[in-house]
Amino acid sequence: MREAFFQIYLAFLGSLGFSILFHITSTRLFFASFGGAISWGVYLALNPLFSSEALRYFLATAVIALYAEIMAKIQKTPTTTYLVPSIIPLIPGSALYSTMNYALRGEWEAFSAEGLFTLQIALSLAGGILVVSSATSVYKSLLHHFMKKAVQKKKGKKTGRYSL
Amino acid sequence: MDTEALLSLSLDIGEEMLLSGAEIHRVEDCIRRICHAYEAKRIDVFSITSVMIATIESPEGKSYTQTRRIAQSGTDLTKLHRLNCLSRTLCSSTPSLDFARREFQSILSSCRPLAAPIFYLSYFLIAGSFTLFFGGTLLESAFSALIAMVLCLAVRLTGRVNFNPILSKIMLTFLFSLLAILCARVLPGVAEDKIIIGNIMIVIPGIGLTNSLRDLFSGDLISGLLRLCESCILALAIAAGYSLAVLLTGGIA
Repeated sequence: MREAFFQIYLAFLGSLGFSILFHITSTRLFFASFGGAISWGVYLALNPLFSSEALRYFLATAVIALYAEIMAKIQKTPTTTYLVPSIIPLIPGSALYSTMNYALRGEWEAFSAEGLFTLQIALSLAGGILVVSSATSVYKSLLHHFMKKAVQKKKGKKTGRYSL
Repeated sequence: MDTEALLSLSLDIGEEMLLSGAEIHRVEDCIRRICHAYEAKRIDVFSITSVMIATIESPEGKSYTQTRRIAQSGTDLTKLHRLNCLSRTLCSSTPSLDFARREFQSILSSCRPLAAPIFYLSYFLIAGSFTLFFGGTLLESAFSALIAMVLCLAVRLTGRVNFNPILSKIMLTFLFSLLAILCARVLPGVAEDKIIIGNIMIVIPGIGLTNSLRDLFSGDLISGLLRLCESCILALAIAAGYSLAVLLTGGIA
């Protein structure tokens, strides 16, 4: 348990480093780094529930993408601000390193297994982002559609203006 | 309404957004909305990671086209945030274009590159914490952070000379891998692998990959593929730099 909290704390620090590197400032700095802690926390919490690594990475990414969308909405800022630092602890740097190592040693079976595993994680991250971002865009266009209808009912109002 | 100035301003805003790390979808959408708010009759925007084209038609029926060639991209999410705020203001209250241009210039002049100590601090934090995160010891983490400082110095130096990004990635990875391997050779009880992983986290094209996937899924296939290609090549460059360092020091033990 202590080990887990220590890891989450480290994930927070790592994301903090990236947030600083990407020029995030003020309250956004804390919440973007906190996203890193959440992503690793969710990943660890799902550990006893699912045996599949890919599924855990997928779910953790989906949670963090949702967090990023919500925070971006609240703070009226692009989703990228929260998504990029938060996802950093899930990026398979360690798996990439092992893949390179197997290649250098000429252990091609281990190389292909580890390489496929890295690819699988990358695809899980992609899937997690995909699910949430498509759900949000569907939600946004539905909202826009109904707002337009509501405004059209009240006569004399112009609908040319958008809000970002 | 000066349509040409409007087009110029909205493309400049779009260009700077793209440069500071926005997705293509957001950039195109932003240009479209600004021109729409200022009552352009027709707006056609197309953007990929390296170029952006827009044609707008003024209320009098005259067409204007401008292009921007996007050279390189860094990431400055505060600048992106402020540009986003500016474009929201333009869309909701349509202030005069002169005012908007002044606001835009003030954002550009106030968002400077990171100060040197902060830059070093971020590298220190990333490498140190990820070495521990992936199971390194405290001593390894300290060395990892120190090597990251050297890496940071190298990044700043190569940034000045405007190197080819792929070549500089190879060289940077070679540099920190070599230092890590030398550390492990000299000091007993220190293994190079966790140190290298901590430093790999710095150079890994995480933001490129994330943004490329978001571009792909929002339908900007060309930009998504371009960025995906770029990320894959950069990952290969990391592998090349690492292999070079390992082979030069006599292979894996």
